[in-house]
This record gives sequence, structure tokens and C-alpha cells, in this order.
Amino acid sequence: MVHVAPSEHLSRLTSKEDFQAFRQQAHDRWERLWNGDTIVASVGVGSSSIAKGALDVLDRARQELGGGGIVREVSGNGAFWMEPWIEVKRPGAPPVVYGPVTPDEVSAVIGGQRQDLAVGVRGDEAFEGIQPLNAHPFFALQKQLLLRNSGVIEPDSIEDAIARGAYDGYFKVLFEMTEEEAIAEVTTAQVRGRGGGGFPAGVKWESGRKARNLPKFVVCNSHEGEPNVYKDRHLHESDPHRILEGILIACVTVGAERGYNYIGGEYPLAIRRFRKAVADAERLGLIGKNVLGTGKNVAFRVRTGGGAYICGEASALMYSVMGVRGQPRTKPPRSVEEGLWKRPTVANNTETLANIPDIIVNGGAWYASMGTENSKGTKLMTNQGPMKLHGVVEVEMGITLNTLFNDVFGGMREGYTFKGVQTGGVSAGPLTSDHLDIPVDFDSLGDVGGMLGSGGWVIFDENVCVVDFARYLTAFNRYESCSKCVPCRLGNPALVEILDRIRFGRGTLDDLTLIKRTSKHIIELSLCGLGQVAPVPLMGMIEHYEDEFRKHIVDHVCPTGTCPISAAASDAALDPSVDHALAAD
Amino acid sequence: MAHAEQTHVPLPVPAPFTGRQEIDLDVVRDLLSHFHYQDFEEAQELILSALQEVNEHFGWVSPEAAELVAEHLGTTVNRVYGLLTFYADFRTAPRGHHHLLICHGMSCYVLGSQQLVQELSDTYGIADGDTTPDEMLSVQVVNGCLGVCDRSPVVKLDDTYVGHVTPESLNDLLQRAVAGRAATEAAARGETLG
Repeated sequence: MVHVAPSEHLSRLTSKEDFQAFRQQAHDRWERLWNGDTIVASVGVGSSSIAKGALDVLDRARQELGGGGIVREVSGNGAFWMEPWIEVKRPGAPPVVYGPVTPDEVSAVIGGQRQDLAVGVRGDEAFEGIQPLNAHPFFALQKQLLLRNSGVIEPDSIEDAIARGAYDGYFKVLFEMTEEEAIAEVTTAQVRGRGGGGFPAGVKWESGRKARNLPKFVVCNSHEGEPNVYKDRHLHESDPHRILEGILIACVTVGAERGYNYIGGEYPLAIRRFRKAVADAERLGLIGKNVLGTGKNVAFRVRTGGGAYICGEASALMYSVMGVRGQPRTKPPRSVEEGLWKRPTVANNTETLANIPDIIVNGGAWYASMGTENSKGTKLMTNQGPMKLHGVVEVEMGITLNTLFNDVFGGMREGYTFKGVQTGGVSAGPLTSDHLDIPVDFDSLGDVGGMLGSGGWVIFDENVCVVDFARYLTAFNRYESCSKCVPCRLGNPALVEILDRIRFGRGTLDDLTLIKRTSKHIIELSLCGLGQVAPVPLMGMIEHYEDEFRKHIVDHVCPTGTCPISAAASDAALDPSVDHALAAD
Repeated sequence: MAHAEQTHVPLPVPAPFTGRQEIDLDVVRDLLSHFHYQDFEEAQELILSALQEVNEHFGWVSPEAAELVAEHLGTTVNRVYGLLTFYADFRTAPRGHHHLLICHGMSCYVLGSQQLVQELSDTYGIADGDTTPDEMLSVQVVNGCLGVCDRSPVVKLDDTYVGHVTPESLNDLLQRAVAGRAATEAAARGETLG
């Protein structure tokens, strides 16, 4: 997997004019593709659709069309509910998207006999009774900047990406603006770190640019360890060149010798597609020595993680890149002073960097016109739990949770009742139905104990016991603790032990006090961000659902029947040796 | 060789992992021969990638293979083993003939993956990282996310994803997989199952 070859037909571009000519060719090729008289079938292939048989659909489409048409392997478009999907562009008609499609239906779909499977048509106008895809509520309420190319371009084709505007921002930074101007645009855009922290990217870049301890590095944090987020994976699979361009712009702007992208090892397809993007960009001469004749040098390395949640923490991530155990260190010095190989390192989240190309091209003011006062732009969101529609969406900051859940994601599935939503992965508390009119941005959710974090929403229904859920979240932190410092290493197992006591019906009211005291120790004494927030989900669960905790403790009843207390009760009910008449007394 | 990793000749695509495998050290040497570095810093950056390559090819990393990695990249086997035991993706014991991933991300949890973990422990006596005594089945509980959240709870048996799994359907799936293997082995021995 480490070895991905670039496309053979690409050759090195050595000047500004070379790139402009290549861009023109890519545009022409793109126009010919969509205006030609051959049929074009595109199949959405991403890790979520592969699990549902998208590769079989792709194979069948290839067999079906043979030499008589073009079959493209695009990425998923974020809408998991319509996977596997196939888009068919017939001469003289707009592209129509069909899904979900089984391999056996491919032939009829391409032949036009299964218009009942059509989900929508590309473009703004209805076609033969099929509504535009963008009119579907799932897409209509989105504002797609980062996902603009998702499901549209072939991620393995640098020409597709360039035809759709990739590397325009890089070009501008190389030829048309100074480093100061570029950073000024990022600062004006007020783009904040998308990994959860919300630190302004412009400020980080400015300190990176001023650092004098050469060489400097840029690291893109694409390690999504959260047990509920797959936005960065989707971005890598659908538009890898956008991320690469963002990193390269950062390198040129802060004067870094080398860019890194650290991708979670769980994402083989994302890694493969990103490596292909790097290989192609290198072959074109967008990475390497004397980029496009400007005299600037940028090197690039892709590094992959090994499945440790803690490596999402910047200092742990850098240790992991350096080939040691990913354990955070004390700060200061901050990584922008002393990061990778003890050199100044600018570390940003994938989504943050993916926003940069558009900001450079359209200007910071354009970006700052979107979103809320303190949170600009758009945010990628993912959802889990018993909802009707699942997927990755991109919405403007400030959308309310109600709109997001009920309109974009289609509301709860039949037979499930909304109980709450876990926010901020394993780092924040849940929200209940009282909080759903809150606008989503970096700051508003914090006031009620929630967190935007990386934008993953886990909706849970009445069948989920909050005590058991709190134990799950705490056990996750116990498992993922790097074991470096004591409060987190010993505190989290202690919390799990207390919760188990409650789940088995042996809890006392003192245990709630004990939980609070232990949590306080972990929060105040832990070294890194993971430890400092590890007990927060548990505290939030107790705060919002204290009644349910008390039922477990006082009445020895688990209202949902999830916890072992209820198993013990029902075992007794089934045990013939227990005299039920007596037991009832 | 500044960007050795991106520019050199690609390896032939390794056969996908199927079932339990012993580690062929010659293959490990071959895999490693494609890792070049210009200085010790870069060599250290490559340790995790090299281990991943071996782990992906064989399903686990043996002490002997770890030693080869250490030798090739100029570091110590202690260092390499320290990484193997820290990062969750690596296994230091061979997998079973069938390898089951249970997604235990939050999405799968709220729709019942805990019951699947419980079922494995009750019926097969195995937990995360274990292999059954007959070496037929090994299991890994994925704390992250397999990313097929609209089909939660999801498991991945060998190369196949199965969604909306219940304890019953999981049992059924495993029985069929084990029976399928037994039939294949019997056929290879020229027997038929009565």
C-alpha cells in the first residue's frame, strides 16, 4: 500500500505557462467528457459504499458498456442512504443519479428501463419528471464548498481535480501574492481549527512564518480517532487534491521545507487515494525542487497511524510520525516553536487545511461572510444512530440542531424515539431535546455542556440506557488512555468500576459523589487534552439524566432493561427454584 | 532519495490476507527492501509504515519479523516491539482462520454492538484480541469506526461486511463460515460431508 505509482502520461511542468496550458487542457477534456456523444456512467466508490457492493456495481457497469461508453470510478457523495449509486449521463440529457442499485440492476439502469430507481438529476432543472438532486432536503440545506467535488471528480485523476479548480490557490500563492498577503487572507477569513480546539489558523501560521529555527514543517492531522467521525476519511476519498493543495499552500506560506499528512491506518482507501494524489502532483512538478520554476522547494511525506486515539493530539501525533509511542508531552513549548524533530511545526486539521484553497482564491472576506459571528464558514458533519438518512454533510455554521436532524438527516427512524444526542465524540456531554434550537457553532454548544468538536452527532433513542452509555464512553477513554500519566491511567478504570457497580445494582448514592470527586481529579491533574476531558461525557450524562442514574441506584431497576440488574431480575423470574409467590412478598 | 517512498517502482500487489498465516521471512525481507531512507530521522519515520506493511500482509508481526524491521531501519527490536504493543492495529499473535472485526464505534454501540461482544464471550469464550482454541476464529473489537454507520451494528468477517447484525445473525454467520471451511477442507482431502 505504501507504493502507489503516478499516472504514466503526466510529465513535469516547469513554468507558470506550462501549468496554465495544462489547466486549459484539463478544462477542455472535462468539457468534452460531458458534452460528447458517448454515454458516461460514474459509480460512487468509497469505503462505505464498497461495504455495500459498489465494486460489483462498477464491474458490472464496465462489462455492460464495454468499449461503448466511459465508466468512471468517482467517490461517494456523502449520502450513505443512496449507496451504491450510479450516475448515468446519456448524450443530450443531464446526468441522472440512481441508487441504491444492485449489480443485477445495473444493466437495466444504464439501458434506461429503471427510472424508478432515480434519486435525482444533476443541475437545477427537473428532467423527465425526475427532480434535481439538489432539491432533495439532504442536499438542499447543505452549502457544499469542501464537498463540491465529492462524487463528481475521479479522485485518482489530477486532471479532473484541476479542471474543477484544484491548485488555483497554490498557483496564486506561488505567482500572484506574497506570504504576508496569503496569511492576511487566512486571518481575515477567521477560519478556526476544525479538529475540535477552534484555534484561529491565521494566528498559528503567523507564528509559524516568524519562527527562525530552520527547517520548518507543516503537519496535517488526518487522524480521526473519534469513534463516530468519518468526515476526514470522506474528504480524502473524494477530493485528495484539495487537502494536498491546502498543505502545500501552508508550506509555501510559512516557509516550511516539508509537508506531512498523518492519516489513520484504519483508512486504506483514503491512504491509497491520497498517495496517488501525491505521486501525481510530484510527477507534475507541483511538489519537489524548483516548483514551476519559482525556485521554491517543497517536499512531501505521507505517514500513517496505527490505531491509537491519542495520536489525534498534536504532540502525540508528532511523536508517532517520529516513530515512537504516541504519548503527549507538556506544553510549552508549543509545536509551532518546537514540534516535529524539534523544529517549528504548523499542525492543522485536515478540514481546516481543505478550506484554505478556496479562501486564497475567493478572499478571506468572502469566507468570513458565511457562518456566525465567531465561527465562520461551513462545517462537515456526520451522524449516527437510528435516523432515516446517514452520511457526511457540509452545512453553514449556525444551523440549528433541529434543522440538521429533522430536515437534513430526515428525523428518527420509524419506531425510535429521540432521547438525546452525544456531542463532541468522547470529549463532551450529551444534549437533550430541550437544546435542539441552539445554533451549531464553536461556542454556543459549550454553554450547555455540549461541544461542536469534529462535528459527529450520535443520536440515541429510548432503548439506550444512559448509565450503560456513560460506561461505554468512560471505557473507551480507559482503553485509549496512553498510560503516561497517573490520573488518567488509574482514574478512568476507577470510574468504570463505579459505573459497573451501579449497572449491577450494587451502587449507592455516595457513588455519585465519588464519581464527581474522581472526575475532578482526572480533569485537573491530567497532562493532555484527552485526560482533561475524559470524565466530561459521564458528568454530562449524570447532569442531564440524573433520574435514570437514581433509578439504578435506589430502585435497582434499569428502565431500558440493558444493564445486568435487569438480567439478574429476569433470570430470577425464569429460575424454577425461586418461589415466585414468596419472592413477590 | 528524498522522496524514495513515492517515486520508486511499485511492488506487485500482495495477495490479500486469507486465513491464518505463518510468516515467511523472505517475503518480509522483500517487503522491507522497498523502504529506503536518507538519514536516521527518515528511517525512524518508516518504522510504523514497515510494520503496517508486514501486519497487512500476514495479519500479524512475529518477533523474528520485528527483528528484521529493526535491522533494516537501524534501530533496536525493543523499540519496534514497544510500537507493536502500543498501537492497536498490530497483532503479535497469528489470526484465526477467520478474522472477525466487530465495530464498536458509538453508532454501533447505540444500536446494540455491546450484545455482539457479549455473545462472543458467552458462546465462544473470546474477547478483543483473542483466538478460539481451535484457531478457527479470532476477533478484534474496533474502538474506532468501520464507517458503515447506516448499517449499524456492523461486523466484518474476513473481507465481507455484514450490517444490521443481531446476536442470532452473528452466530448464524459464524457457523456458516466455519462449516464452509470444514467443507472446503474435506473436499480437499477427497471426502464429502454426509
